[in-house]
Order: sequence, then structure tokens, then C-alpha cells
Amino acid sequence: MSKPKTLRIIIWVFLIGLICAASAIYYVFNMPRRNISKENAIYTLVAKQLISDFRSDETVATAKYLDQVVAVTGEIKSIRTLDNHSMVFSLEDQMEGVSCTVDSADVVNNSSKLAQFTIGTKGQFKGRCSGMLMDIQIINCVPQ
Amino acid sequence: MNKLILFLALGLVFFNAGAQNRFFTKDAKINFNSSTPLEDIIAETNQATTFIDIDKNEVAFSVLTTSFKFRRALMEEHFNENYMESAKFPKAKFTGKIVSPIDWKSEKPVVVDVKGELTMHGATKAVTFKATITPGKTKVIATAELKVTPEDFKIAIPSAVRDKIAKEVTIKIDAIYAPYQQ
Repeated sequence: MSKPKTLRIIIWVFLIGLICAASAIYYVFNMPRRNISKENAIYTLVAKQLISDFRSDETVATAKYLDQVVAVTGEIKSIRTLDNHSMVFSLEDQMEGVSCTVDSADVVNNSSKLAQFTIGTKGQFKGRCSGMLMDIQIINCVPQ
Repeated sequence: MNKLILFLALGLVFFNAGAQNRFFTKDAKINFNSSTPLEDIIAETNQATTFIDIDKNEVAFSVLTTSFKFRRALMEEHFNENYMESAKFPKAKFTGKIVSPIDWKSEKPVVVDVKGELTMHGATKAVTFKATITPGKTKVIATAELKVTPEDFKIAIPSAVRDKIAKEVTIKIDAIYAPYQQ
């Protein structure tokens, strides 16, 4: 093999490697957000169960549920729309129940389903558990 | 005479119980901003829970760190996994007092000093900041801004990215409180 040919191969390998590395970095840097609606729920349970799990031992419950996709069912006690157009549905108790937040884009995508959810009716939401303050918070929710 | 004093005292207790002395919201907005010439990092949450006790001038905030939303999913991941270690320390908290005078009946915005302790990433630090509070009978509006240094809260930032994260991160708070019924 002549020298210029070897050099050319080295340059090509190097360039291809560079492109691969660059696209990998680009992908990681701009990686897509988790799409909860496409993920399966790890835990499917009633709101009362989730509340009692957190009330009996918050540390254990946080370790179990934090960042996991949960599908939770309960009676809707309050509905609020925030100024960023996301909606919060409180299940079982307005103050110390389970708060399910539906992001503004998902409010638009699920408007007909959400319209059926009124105070006193049962609702099921699938979302990511972010822990407990006064209430247990489920974020990035989609109605089921 | 004694009976009259007792009656008046009881009346006062009942009057106080009836008066609205605690305000709260579960939808307070907190955002933080770390601006450097290399990168602007902005994150926001609408899910902070906060109380104001207007009798004691006490303020309390708490927020779940995984509820912060960033422009990029990668930033969110780094924030929760590498910096805040949200699995270990899921909450950030502030408890403090309004230390300058405030007339809760005025319904006019007033700038006050707030002093207290901020806990995040398992570390607690005394902080003082200014807040603008607009008192009201049915709602209390509060905005505040404070600056924190990540290193004060034992948040380790690798030297490779140190230039991309501001030395002081600005935290902004926006809250509209409603009367708290127990």
C-alpha cells in the first residue's frame, strides 16, 4: 500500500469518527424529554393508597415513588388553572391529597377528556411522582 | 369584674380565631437564573407551597426539586442527578421572618426584609433578602429575589463546567396567597 493511500484511510476514519462523536454529543445535548404518555405506569393504584404510603413513612415512599410513572385514581376535590395554563387536579383532599398537574400542552391535547373531569367525579391520571409537600405531587400528568 | 375580664379575654380569643391570620398557596412560582457569558440556565416551577402567618410575620416555603423545568432535558437530568441529588434530598425549604415593619391592613405594596434559613441539598444556610408584599383581606401578593452560591449548599460543580454556571444564582419568587382555612 502506498503511503498517500494509508494517509487517506486514516483521514477518512478520523473524519467518520469525528462525525459520529459530534452527532452523539448533539443527540445527548438535545435529548428529548420523557414522554410520560408513552411510558407504562410502574405503579397503578388508588390515591388513598398513595396518601397512606406517604403519611406512614415519607422517606420510604419517596424512595419508592420518586420519579416513577404512577397511574393514580381518586375523587376530584378541586380543579385549578395556573397562569401558565397548566391545570392541577387535587384528588381525595384539596390540601393534603394527591395533586396531579397537567402541563399546558397536554391540557390542549386532552381537552375533551379533561372537560369530563368535574369536582366530585373520579379521575385517573398518569404522571411522574415528584414527592410530597403538603400533598403528594404528580407532574407531567395525562388523563387516562 | 373578674367575670367581665374573663368574658373579654374569651371574646378576644374567639375574635382572633375568626380573623384570618394565615395565608397560603400551593402554586407559588419559583425560578432561578444562572447567567454566564457561556450559557444561560433558567428553570422554573409553579409548584412551591408557601405560608405567611401575618400575626407572627412568619414565612415558610417548600418546593420539590424535581418539579423544576429547564429548557433542555439534559440540564434537568444534570440538575437532579449531579447537583441537587434529588433522590437523596427531594425538597428545598425556607423558613423565616419578616423583620421590618409591615401594616397588614394597608393593602399597599411594601418592601420588607426577610431573614431566615434556606435548606437545600441537605445543607442549611442563613439568608436575608428583600421582598415586596401587597397585603389584602382576601389575598396577599409577594415577590422576592435572592442570590445563592451553589458551594454554600455543598453543591459540587466540576471544574470543566464551572465557567458555565454562575457564581451566584438568582432565585425569584412570585406568590399569590389565599386565606388558609383549616
